[in-house]
Amino acid sequence: MTQLLQNIIDGLGRGSIYALLALGVAVVFGIMHLLNFAHGELITIPGYLTYWAFNHGWNWWTVVPLILVSAVGSSLLIERIAFSRVRGAKDFTMLLTSFGVHFIVSALFLLYVSASVKSIQRPGWAADTVALGSLRIEIFDLLVIGVTIVTLLATTWLLQRTMFGLSLRAAASDFEAARLMGVNSDSVIRGAFALSGFLAGIAGIFWLMRAGSVTPTAGIDPMLKGVLAALIGGLGSLRGAVVGGLVLGLAEVLLRAWLPEGIQNLTTGFVFVLIALLFIFKPGGLLAVPQVERV
Amino acid sequence: MSLRSLFPKPTRDIAFPLAGSVLLFGFLVGGGLLYQVILGSGTAERLVTTMLIDAIIVIGIQIYIGNTGILSFGHVGFGAIAGYVFAVSAIAPEDKIKRIPKAPFGLTDVQVSPGVAILLAVAFTVVAAMILGVGLARSGAESGAVAATVITLALLFVTHEVAKSWSELTGGNRGGLSFGIGESLDGRVLIFVVLFLALVVARLYGQSRSGRLAVAAREDNLAARAVGINPLVQQMVALVISVVVVSVGSALRVWEIGSILPDRFFFDYTMLTLVMLIVGGRNSVTGAVLGVVVMTASRELTRRLGQEGFEVFGIGLDEEPLDWIFRENLNNVVLGLSMVAFMIWRPGGILGDWELDEWLYRTFGRGNEEEPERLPELDVIPDAQFTASGIGVAFGGFQALHNAGLSAASGEVVGIIGPNGAGKTTFVNVITGMVQPDSGSFAIDDLDLSATPAHALARAGLVRTFQNLRLFGALTVRENVETAALVAREHRADRVVRDPDALIAEAGLWELRDRRASELDYGNSRRLELARAAAMAPSFMLLDEPTSGMSNSESLTMIEQVRHMAATVGAGVIVIDHDLGFITGISDRIYVFDQGQVIAEGTPTEVQADPRVQAAYLGSAAVT
Amino acid sequence: MLEVTGVTTKYGAISALRDAGLSVGAGEVVGLIGPNGAGKTTLLGSIAGLLRPDTGTVTFDGNDITNVAPEKILRAGLALVPEHRRIFTDMTVEENLKIGGVTVKASERAALLEEMADLFPVLKKKWDVPAGYMSGGEAQQLAIARALMSKPKLLMMDEPSLGLAPILVDLVFDLIEQLRDQGRTILVVEQNATRMLQAADRAYVLRSGEVVASGTGAELLARTDLFDTFVAG
Repeated sequence: MTQLLQNIIDGLGRGSIYALLALGVAVVFGIMHLLNFAHGELITIPGYLTYWAFNHGWNWWTVVPLILVSAVGSSLLIERIAFSRVRGAKDFTMLLTSFGVHFIVSALFLLYVSASVKSIQRPGWAADTVALGSLRIEIFDLLVIGVTIVTLLATTWLLQRTMFGLSLRAAASDFEAARLMGVNSDSVIRGAFALSGFLAGIAGIFWLMRAGSVTPTAGIDPMLKGVLAALIGGLGSLRGAVVGGLVLGLAEVLLRAWLPEGIQNLTTGFVFVLIALLFIFKPGGLLAVPQVERV
Repeated sequence: MSLRSLFPKPTRDIAFPLAGSVLLFGFLVGGGLLYQVILGSGTAERLVTTMLIDAIIVIGIQIYIGNTGILSFGHVGFGAIAGYVFAVSAIAPEDKIKRIPKAPFGLTDVQVSPGVAILLAVAFTVVAAMILGVGLARSGAESGAVAATVITLALLFVTHEVAKSWSELTGGNRGGLSFGIGESLDGRVLIFVVLFLALVVARLYGQSRSGRLAVAAREDNLAARAVGINPLVQQMVALVISVVVVSVGSALRVWEIGSILPDRFFFDYTMLTLVMLIVGGRNSVTGAVLGVVVMTASRELTRRLGQEGFEVFGIGLDEEPLDWIFRENLNNVVLGLSMVAFMIWRPGGILGDWELDEWLYRTFGRGNEEEPERLPELDVIPDAQFTASGIGVAFGGFQALHNAGLSAASGEVVGIIGPNGAGKTTFVNVITGMVQPDSGSFAIDDLDLSATPAHALARAGLVRTFQNLRLFGALTVRENVETAALVAREHRADRVVRDPDALIAEAGLWELRDRRASELDYGNSRRLELARAAAMAPSFMLLDEPTSGMSNSESLTMIEQVRHMAATVGAGVIVIDHDLGFITGISDRIYVFDQGQVIAEGTPTEVQADPRVQAAYLGSAAVT
Repeated sequence: MLEVTGVTTKYGAISALRDAGLSVGAGEVVGLIGPNGAGKTTLLGSIAGLLRPDTGTVTFDGNDITNVAPEKILRAGLALVPEHRRIFTDMTVEENLKIGGVTVKASERAALLEEMADLFPVLKKKWDVPAGYMSGGEAQQLAIARALMSKPKLLMMDEPSLGLAPILVDLVFDLIEQLRDQGRTILVVEQNATRMLQAADRAYVLRSGEVVASGTGAELLARTDLFDTFVAG
């Protein structure tokens, strides 16, 4: 039982990061129908800046704002350079554009930094645990869960109480009608990418803390988790993205704990089997937004 | 009936594609050998061999992406499966002992001939593809093409992860699996044979019935279903055929290199193959081949610039200022930039969907074509009675249809009129399977058609056109109509299926028969949609606002065209329109819809004089 | 206030406009009637910036607004209540209204919200209800109120009585009268021609993309050949 509870907390810890990533992906998808395969680069780029910063005497207190700012900045830059030119294009075109951007960024790092793993110093308290009754919980997990809750609350507040948030939701609901109300299409799209970048930044802080390193292809894993979680939750639903992330995190941890010793390293494979089963029974995802076919 | 347009056309669908394959093969192999001869080096030979194998795989990917329009990141993942199955089966036990001494199922001691190993690789991969295909179909239907693409990406990721983690079987990431010295593929005859076969398979499939139906579904999924195509079936066929080609190519790739590692079948190779496909033009095999050559040349150029300095074919360049650009791994950046650049400025690739043998056929193979003769109207119109009754549909709280119904007999023209928002299009959507009614039923004669999917309704004889005009844009006028005829020949064989060329001539489109549908002007587009519907040999044609956007005189000429077209195939007509002149001129009987219900029915004269109808059109005066 | 001249717009399946024109003066209620497929929605769309005319000009208050983005046209003072309303179904009534007022200063917006609550008591009752749960009539009122939030100089409405029961049609036209009495300028596309002509100061009849008749509401109502005008070849 204790073990189960610890696993659940561990799963929620991972799932929180996935939820943030998925939410970032979902925000952009809702507005532009663009699935951003370059979302992981919003962690890679800050990752390399973090590496540079640590080599110049920074510490985690000063690095955290650096990560957030660079994540938002990268997101806006990528939108400006690449995505703004394929607005309104077919899904196929936008998917390949985002994949191309991902590839360019990771290739640039490979070319101009190095393929080798650059290590980032984990914070001192990263491995500390705290005792709660018979449970031993990692402080890291608690922090991640806590920060995620705060971030989700703040995002909810942003989307429901500010004009910017209302504009985003209106544009996601009916872009043209939003423009008829006076919502500026450029502003709302940039806003979505900025929000997406911010969420990626928060996820990135913890991702980098946990990974302790950065490589040119470090972005693939978070991107995939984010995209899959958004799909599991139901593409188009922000709530679904959060739920999908938590479910994915829990599934990973619980499955690993449950699988026999010998095949534990195939956890990822089994997670995908579960996802596949989900799609057989609920093809639209957990919180599917029904797509009305326009004739 | 003229022999000229019998399906399939052996010249167009077999002979010319074969000839085209020979030419493309010659281009690839000939060009490659020429390059080798010019450079005379060993690296040139390796480059050409790699290019030919890449070509096989890219052609395989083109078979799927080009014909279905679905972006797949997963084909390299299928390649991984094939590659590992091949490696594990074909490598000698003494070479496997070193890497995977404890392979499960006793595979360390097993070895089969390379030929058998390739067959095993194909078999396993095809099974995986069929399972994935079902998943793609289900989620694609619910969440759209984006979901399907994500699933293929997940496959790529899973195969990579499993390859890395299941090291007892795969040798993991450290050493992978290797053939012993001298065991890897020797000589290129096998590669040539497989390449040629891949080209032939790709072209024959592209010209085949299934390939054409898949392309129609790619262009417009809804319109395809409206002419009886089931997109999911065609997409599965394309997937399986493409996976077979990719499997064989991947096995060869492993055999040629002599080893396999997880990273060889992951993002880098996916990117390379996709860029090759995109740059040339994903909708044609010729495009795929061109893309392979262009990107191989580009890759070689950047490699030389990065490694050997700036001596390219004896021309030296001043190093210093450009040194920071040209480095070893520059190719990846070039790939990414090419992808993004083409997506922004030329998504169709260099060739768009130009296919070599199609052009050859049109230019040399076809000879002079005479305009077909006018089609006679059928003397004996097959009996059919359409009835719908009690149809009710609610969207949320809004009752779009309530107790709506109508009846029509073959040979009749029944009109539907009513104000905007009256439920007319919803009604047609119901009887063509695009909206599920909450109540009511409809049938042709005794055959109950409620709860039947759209494509089955089309095959049962209910064929529609669309208010918003849905043509297969990239296909020619001829191909649009031929696609419907392809379905009719199989599913409407008991009816008179008209020669597509004759229908095109009837619609006044003979001069434009080789034009792309997307290039037609408005009136011609409408007539093409009408001809395509007629090509399905329908029992009933359901026309949704066929004169929308036409001037008055054009609308009146449509009356005769619709009547005649219907009479040549013996179909009844149910037509919605707002142009009262058109409707009263063409209809035998008219139903009037208002607020989701049928408020009047009768002959045009009766209906026009009915005060309720006048009120519905002009609006009732204020109550106070 | 609004001058449209020589507009020709082609747009896929929706009727083309051929050399269409109209004018709306301050304080007028102008109707645009005609059979379906005549191009009425295309004309409004061309004015509101949703569609790009191939030729012609649209001038508002002396400024050329042809081919201008919809969000800029709104800021110029033209608000459109679109066909089928297009309210944001996942957002509450209040949120829909707030978005309508996105271009207005925050302090003014609060006052406007109160004004709308008074003008549309039905909306006040459903203030926090997601708009997707509203009935047709309620949704129409929400759409109109939402457009009014931007304090438009000219209000355009596309088929406001579409899909509404007769008693709600009365409501809509009462509303139009109320708005006119407030001194607003309104351009309405309607398929309920009789009611529209009763409510309008002037009107234009559109058929097959062209203006085939115009005059005061009373003049057009008096024409015995109106039905034929809709139909005749």
